[in-house]
Amino acid sequence: MTHPFRFILCLAVLLAAVTTGMVSYAGQDLERLDSWAFESPRRPGAVFPHDDHIFLADDDCSVCHHVYENGELVPDESSEDLYCSDCHSLKPAPDNPMPLEAAYHKLCRDCHFDQGEGPVLCGECHVKE
Amino acid sequence: MNSFIAFIMGPMVWISFIIFLGGLTIKLVGILKAVRQKEPYIYSYVTLKHSLRSIGAWMIPFFPRSARMSPVYYGISYLFHVLLFLVPLFLASHIVLINEAFQISWPALNDQVADWLTLGVIAALIFFAVRRVMVPEVKFLTGAMDYVLILLVMLPFLTGFLAYHQWIAYRWITVIHILSGELVLIIIPFSRFSHMLTAPLTRAYMGSEFGHVRQAKDW
Ligand code: HEC
Ligand code: HEC
Ligand code: HEC
Ligand code: HEC
Repeated sequence: MTHPFRFILCLAVLLAAVTTGMVSYAGQDLERLDSWAFESPRRPGAVFPHDDHIFLADDDCSVCHHVYENGELVPDESSEDLYCSDCHSLKPAPDNPMPLEAAYHKLCRDCHFDQGEGPVLCGECHVKE
Repeated sequence: MNSFIAFIMGPMVWISFIIFLGGLTIKLVGILKAVRQKEPYIYSYVTLKHSLRSIGAWMIPFFPRSARMSPVYYGISYLFHVLLFLVPLFLASHIVLINEAFQISWPALNDQVADWLTLGVIAALIFFAVRRVMVPEVKFLTGAMDYVLILLVMLPFLTGFLAYHQWIAYRWITVIHILSGELVLIIIPFSRFSHMLTAPLTRAYMGSEFGHVRQAKDW
């Protein structure tokens, strides 16, 4: 490079941009899922506007609060009286092929991918508090 | 946008790893063929024992003589190379993704520790860039591409650091993070970074030439 200082200049500009961006915005009050079921949560609880999602799931509670029998999804039956963690334990087990963390990620993220809308990157759900 | 992210988080990861590993394999075969054509007698004295002994000796911190002659540069470079592999492979978030894809996992670095180590990698890269500007012998051998490559390696670490803290433009920073990580993998076989493969090969050759033929040390 003929002007190596250009590199340093670029770095300086980049750093300046980052510091400006650091001016943090006041944390709005967001409706979050409680991560109590995880032994020692490492991420802020996921943002989840529950009632908006009832509408997004066409009023079908069983899209999320599902019931399975012998590995088969039972249509028209729902389990909103249970926590996800009542059936999905933390570690994979023979009676639970879908550990809790993966269950949440699969349910939430896959629908957002399928619908082409909604958060799909870690920090879009686990928004810093 | 979500379908683009689905692509770079899915198929593009496979494509990157195939180019990375395939490219290095083709390169290895090419080198072995070229040696057979031009200097086949090398095969007669390269041994596994001497190769591994030399690679091992060069992996012990501050063991090779040349390392002790420039301890600052060598020390930073050594730590940098360890962190370059350690941080991405043991980052909690990466393990979450790998676990979801392959149902395998391993112990993760604490997020705060990983955060500081990431800053360490960035600092080391800045040191390498400054060294290229300041040290005349190195500056003489430096081309524009060297700075581009330093920036390219820095990009996934810088954007990873910013993404973790969610300070600005989270979605864009994270997309750049994923893409730059994939780009680095893809260019490894086609750039100076192929020393990932050629450095151990050089040690195998030198270790055998010195250890086996000349009965001397090469460290
Ligand atoms: C679509 C929303 C969504 C996305 C995207 C998402 N998560 Fe989650 N994640 C959740 C939900 C919901 C839970 C379970 C409830 C909770 O902990 O808030 C969860 C739980 C977790 C947990 C276990 C609980 C804890 O805090 O230790 C970890 C770890 C985690 N996520 C990491 C990640 C990482 C890393 C990514 C990106 C690779 C990610 N998540 C992306 C929604 C999401
Ligand atoms: C998009 C997915 C989704 C849909 C659709 C949905 N829920 Fe939920 N709901 C959740 C999740 C996730 C939780 C948290 C579960 C947990 O903590 O284990 C929850 C929790 C609840 C709770 C417990 C709240 C609490 O604080 O204890 C009730 C009650 C509930 N849902 C009722 C409903 C009903 C009724 C419907 C249909 C009209 C519905 N949900 C539709 C995802 C959904
Ligand atoms: C009454 C028990 C029960 C409850 C409550 C429950 N699940 Fe499940 N879930 C199951 C069973 C059983 C399966 C089927 C596992 C298998 O055989 O693949 C399953 C499968 C899943 C799957 C995989 C579906 C697929 O398409 O492969 C996801 C994702 C999931 N659950 C998420 C959740 C989430 C999130 C909640 C809470 C909102 C929840 N589950 C509540 C029992 C339950
Ligand atoms: C039935 C499909 C579906 C499921 C399941 C689902 N979502 Fe969503 N979600 C959507 C859609 C569609 C949007 C986009 C709505 C919009 O932008 O108006 C969305 C938007 C969101 C948003 C952004 C809301 C906003 O106001 O910007 C968050 C956060 C979110 N989802 C979290 C979750 C979490 C956490 C889960 C799992 C517990 C989940 N979603 C499960 C369909 C789903």
